[in-house]
Amino acid sequence: MTARRDLLRYGAAALLAGCTPRASERAADRIRLWVGPNAAEEGFWKIAVARWNALGRGLPVTFTTIPTAGNSEDTVLSALVAGTEPDLSTNIFSGFAVQLATLGQVEDLAALPGYAELVERRHMSAIMPGWTQNGRVFALPIYSSPTLLWWRADLLEAHGLSAPPRTYDEVYAFSDRYGRAKGQSRYGMQVIAGRSWQDRWFDFISFYYAASRGQPYLNGARALYANPAGLQVATFIGRMFRERWTAMDFDAEEPLVTGLAAGAVRGPWDVERFANIYPDTLARIVVGPMIAATPTTGPASTFSDSKGVVVFRNSRVKREAFDFLAWVLGDEALNLLWLERTGLSPARGDLLQNPRFAGYYRASAIGRAYAEHVVSARPPALSEYTIDVQKIMGSQLIEPLMTGQQPPRAALTAAVQRTDDMLEAQA
Amino acid sequence: MIRWLNGGRGLSREAIVGLSLVSVYLVFTALFWAYPFFWLAKLSVTQWRFFDEPTFVGVRNFVRAVQDPQFLGALWNVVRFLALYLPIAFGGALLVAFGLQHVGRGRAFVALCFLLSNVSSGVALSLVFLKIFSSTGPLNNSLYAAIGVRIPWTNEPTLAMLAIALVVAWKFVGYYGLIVYSGLLTVPRELYDAARLDHAGRWTRLVRITLPMLNPQLMMVLTFAILVAFGLFTEPYLITGGGPADSTATPQMIIYETAFRRLQPSHAATMSIIISLGSYLLVVLARRLFEKKVVIA
Repeated sequence: MTARRDLLRYGAAALLAGCTPRASERAADRIRLWVGPNAAEEGFWKIAVARWNALGRGLPVTFTTIPTAGNSEDTVLSALVAGTEPDLSTNIFSGFAVQLATLGQVEDLAALPGYAELVERRHMSAIMPGWTQNGRVFALPIYSSPTLLWWRADLLEAHGLSAPPRTYDEVYAFSDRYGRAKGQSRYGMQVIAGRSWQDRWFDFISFYYAASRGQPYLNGARALYANPAGLQVATFIGRMFRERWTAMDFDAEEPLVTGLAAGAVRGPWDVERFANIYPDTLARIVVGPMIAATPTTGPASTFSDSKGVVVFRNSRVKREAFDFLAWVLGDEALNLLWLERTGLSPARGDLLQNPRFAGYYRASAIGRAYAEHVVSARPPALSEYTIDVQKIMGSQLIEPLMTGQQPPRAALTAAVQRTDDMLEAQA
Repeated sequence: MIRWLNGGRGLSREAIVGLSLVSVYLVFTALFWAYPFFWLAKLSVTQWRFFDEPTFVGVRNFVRAVQDPQFLGALWNVVRFLALYLPIAFGGALLVAFGLQHVGRGRAFVALCFLLSNVSSGVALSLVFLKIFSSTGPLNNSLYAAIGVRIPWTNEPTLAMLAIALVVAWKFVGYYGLIVYSGLLTVPRELYDAARLDHAGRWTRLVRITLPMLNPQLMMVLTFAILVAFGLFTEPYLITGGGPADSTATPQMIIYETAFRRLQPSHAATMSIIISLGSYLLVVLARRLFEKKVVIA
C-alpha cells in the first residue's frame, strides 16, 4: 500500500513539475530566442545564430520558431504564465509589447547598455520615436513594412493615367471613369481592408497618417483624429462609398487580379504572395504613395506594419541577450540577408543611401518603393487598448460611412468621443 | 459499489481493477474539467492579470460584467440569433426527416451526407460562405446582373445575423434532421390509420399526432440549438468579425478578446460563468415551457 501511495505521489509530482518550470530553473549559460513562425524568417535566424555562435563573442544562442498553431501573442502569453518563455522573442507587435510592459514582463530596452549605440549604428533615430513611450522602448523593430497603394498600371493607362494617383481628386476622377466604363460593376479602388479591428491599420490609419503628415491618432487617454486630417479621410471614404466607386468588401476574389478594383492598399509581404500565385498581375502592378487631399513633396507618411523583438523581464541573461540582438540588428551584412530572405525592409533610415543595399533595390522596383517610405511610415499607437480603439473606429466611423448612415463629420466626432469615453473608463 | 476486505482496511481485487480502469477518466476530468472549473470560479471573485497574485474583490467582477455594454450587447445577439436560427433549424430538420422517410434505397448514404456537413470544419465553411455572401460574390453578382440589386449580407445588422444563422444551420440541420427522423420511426402507424378513419387531414395529423409524438426529439434539437447559440465563435469571427456595429459579436468572441487580447482574465472568467448560467437557465425554461411527456395510452 505504501509503495502504491509513493508511486502516485511521485507521479503527480513529476506531472506538475513538468508543467511549471520556475524562473529559478532558467538557463544562464545560453540565450534562448523565439522567432516568427515562417520559413523565411527561420532561414535568416538559422544563419545569424550560427554566425554568432561561431564568433564566440558571448553566450551561445539557441532558437526555435514560436511554437504556435495560430496566434503568436497567445503562445507568448501562455509561455509567460507557465514560466517557459525564452529570453528574447521576435514577432511582437507594438501594442502587445505595451501590454506586456504594463504587466511588467518585458525590459525597457532603452535602459540597457548599448541601446543608443545601436540606434545610431543602425540609423534608427527617425524610426524609434514611434516605438518610444515616455522615454522607454519595450520592443525594437527589426523591419518596417509601410503600406502603399498598388495600382494596375494597364488599367490606369487605359483610363488616361500614366502614373499612380496621389490625391483624392485624382482617385475620384479615375474611379468615375473606370466604374462607368464597366457599367458600375468595377471599382476605382478597394478602400476598406476588412471587418476586423486589425484592418483599420490598412485603411483609416494608413490614410490618416498620409493626410496628417504622420501625426499620431492617439495620445495616452485621448483620441487625436478629430482634426482636419481625420475629416479629410472620413470625407474621402464617405464619398467613395456614396458614389459607389468602391465596394463594401472584396472577399470573393483578389480584386487586383480580376480588375474588380484597380487599386488597393498592400504591404511588402504581398509581393511574395503575388509572385507565387499571381505573377502576371504582379508584372502589371505599379506602386504609388498613400493618397491625401494634397500631394506631399518627398515620401508620403503612411502606416508601418512592424514587428519588434522584446527581452523578457525574467530572463537571467538580459544584457547578454541584448548584446546578441544589437549585434544582429547592427550588422549590415545581416540586415541585407534579412532583406533578401524575407523581402521586408530592415527598420533603418539609410536603406537607399547605403551602398550595401543598393544592389537589392536596383533589382526590385517594388522593394525600392517600400524602402523609400520606411522613415516616413509610422507604427500603430503605443496603446494597451489597441483593440478597443480600433473596434470603435470600425463601428463608429468606418461602418456609418460605408452605409451612409452618418455624414463624415458626425461619424468622426462620434468615434473620437466614444474612444475618449472608453479610455477614460479604462483608466 | 466498492467492496472492502478485512473489516474495511483493504480493497477487493475487483474494486482495485475497477478503480484503476476508472482512474484514467477521473484524472482526465480532474485535470481538464475540475481544475479549470475551480480556477474559473476563483478568477470570477478575484482580480488577476496573469502574473500577479489574485486579490479577492467579491462580486465586483459580476457588477462590472452586467454593466459592460459590449457583453450585454453580445447576450442580446444570442437572442437575435436564436430568433432567426430556431425557425430555420426546426423547419430544416423536419424537412430532412420527412424527406428521409421518402428515400427508398441509399437512405444510409443520404443520412451520412447530412452528417458530413456537421463534421466539416467551421473555419473552412465560413471561408466558403464569406465568398458566397460577399458584396462582390457570386450571389450578389447574379442578383445585380438580374435585377440591379446587391444584398448587403454582412453589412446590415439583421442580414448579417441571418447570414450567420444560415451558415450555422447548414452545418447542423442535417444532424438535427437525423434526430427528428429517429423520432419519426418510433411513431406507431396505427395512430395515423386511426386518424384517417376519423377523416383527419394531413395538417391535422401533423399537428395532432406527429409533432406531439416528436416532442422529445424536438426538445433535444431545441436544447442543442440553445447551446450552439451560446457557443458561437468561428462563424461570426470569420464572416463578420462581430460587425456591423457589434451586431454579430457573440459572448464567446467577447470572452476570448477580453481574456487574450485585453489581457483581463478575471473579467472574462466572470462573463463565462454568466454565460454558463444563462444557457442553463434558458434550457431549463425551454423544457418547462415546451417539454411534454409522450405517453401512448
